[in-house]
Amino acid sequence: MTDVYVHGIGMTQFGTFVDRTMKDLLLDACVQALEDAGNPRVDAVFIGNFMGGAIYNQEILGAIVANELGLGFIPTAKVEGACASGGIAVRQGVLGILSGEYDTVLVAGVEKMKHASTADVTQAINAAMDNDSNEKHAGLTFPGFFGVLANRYFYETGASKKHLAMVALKNREHALNNPLAQFQKATTLDEIMGARIITNPLGLFDCSPMTDGAAAVVISREKSSVHIRSSAQASGPTQMQDADDLLSIPAIGESGRMAYEKAGVGPGDIDVVEIHDCFSMTELLAIEELGFFNKREGWKAIEEGRTKATGDKPVNTSGGLLSRGHPIGATGVAQIYQLVRQLRGTAVNQVDGARLALAQNLGGTGSYSTVHILERV
Amino acid sequence: MNVFTCNGCDYQSMTAKYVCPKCRQGKFETREVSSKGTVYSFTDIHIAPAEFAGIAPYTVALVQLDEANVKVTTRMALGVQIGDCVELDRIEDGAFLYKGV
Ligand SMILES: [Zn+2]
Repeated sequence: MTDVYVHGIGMTQFGTFVDRTMKDLLLDACVQALEDAGNPRVDAVFIGNFMGGAIYNQEILGAIVANELGLGFIPTAKVEGACASGGIAVRQGVLGILSGEYDTVLVAGVEKMKHASTADVTQAINAAMDNDSNEKHAGLTFPGFFGVLANRYFYETGASKKHLAMVALKNREHALNNPLAQFQKATTLDEIMGARIITNPLGLFDCSPMTDGAAAVVISREKSSVHIRSSAQASGPTQMQDADDLLSIPAIGESGRMAYEKAGVGPGDIDVVEIHDCFSMTELLAIEELGFFNKREGWKAIEEGRTKATGDKPVNTSGGLLSRGHPIGATGVAQIYQLVRQLRGTAVNQVDGARLALAQNLGGTGSYSTVHILERV
Repeated sequence: MNVFTCNGCDYQSMTAKYVCPKCRQGKFETREVSSKGTVYSFTDIHIAPAEFAGIAPYTVALVQLDEANVKVTTRMALGVQIGDCVELDRIEDGAFLYKGV
């Protein structure tokens, strides 16, 4: 159990903002979070960001936030952990408070992607694979990894492409109610199933989009109505060929196991979940790894609608990465944003009486995972 | 082809580690095994990054080797299915290019 509480949250609209700078998006989310928290004195800043240097030629994000917001000469850092950059930044803030060094920390995540060409962004994303490997030389890609997993999953279970489509459709239906989500156009199972193939069996709707956006949280040792009950992080194989069990992502399972243990709760206690659905297949594996459903049976829960906002284990009520959008460094922080709103009772797709919430943020093809368990107190 | 085996337990790997991740003590030794194996899973990559766009669509297959408890990531021509018997054709630019037996 930690003695860390969430005091403020902020988030920009996710989508295509070619005319807004990364600094503009980042400061927008930070100011929202600071105002929501009642403008406390901030002792440190952590920023989650993945490709600001590679495709936007901008680093020193922590110092920029401290300077532009007039926070004083406080310590700051940019945190990189591929798509888990935001979750790791939140965790660094929590650890900074737990260490006794800081009382109050501003954590934000940001990414600017839509100004760049798809080829440049794809190239930058591939930095999250082990590029000095026979696997990379074979031409494996990020979505390709999850395509290989999906074909094996289909082979071993009764699942099919339709179940992946049902994950994508569910998250789109959640996003339709979220004014901050990137995709707010209704779709159908047929449209998802018939979409252009990226890497079989994954089609366009099975893959998270490129997105501009930012999110921020203010956390403190001072009490509030939202307690960060636990924070955990794990790493895992950086190559597909190193996996003992291809249908397991140990970083997710291990970070979940530690988070439950620290919080003194189990998967059955969790009321609402934000999971890292970078691909529809990833959500299927994550709901199994986190113990919500049995291994190799997540697809049945999808089929039964159990992970819808109206189901018994609501997953990605924000729309998830697939439809809320995936501005890489912001994603882990945006998950916290949605869950805090759930616990405050003010969320889109509000789950009645939500008390315990879990966020899981994945980096690379299973390289990093963070899990945070939040509680309404 | 070469695989790495732990001298302290039964762990085997396509890549050498500083210390065995299973028993945390053993060191790795190389062993020469046949390249033959069975396709464990695969994907056909239609949208590829710039450096592979010229050869897309192509298949990346994860192959379970016959003579070691090791899987290896390979590139193949389209038309692969899980369970296919395959072997190394050649090594090119650091990639294992496989073909059907
Ligand atoms: Zn060993």
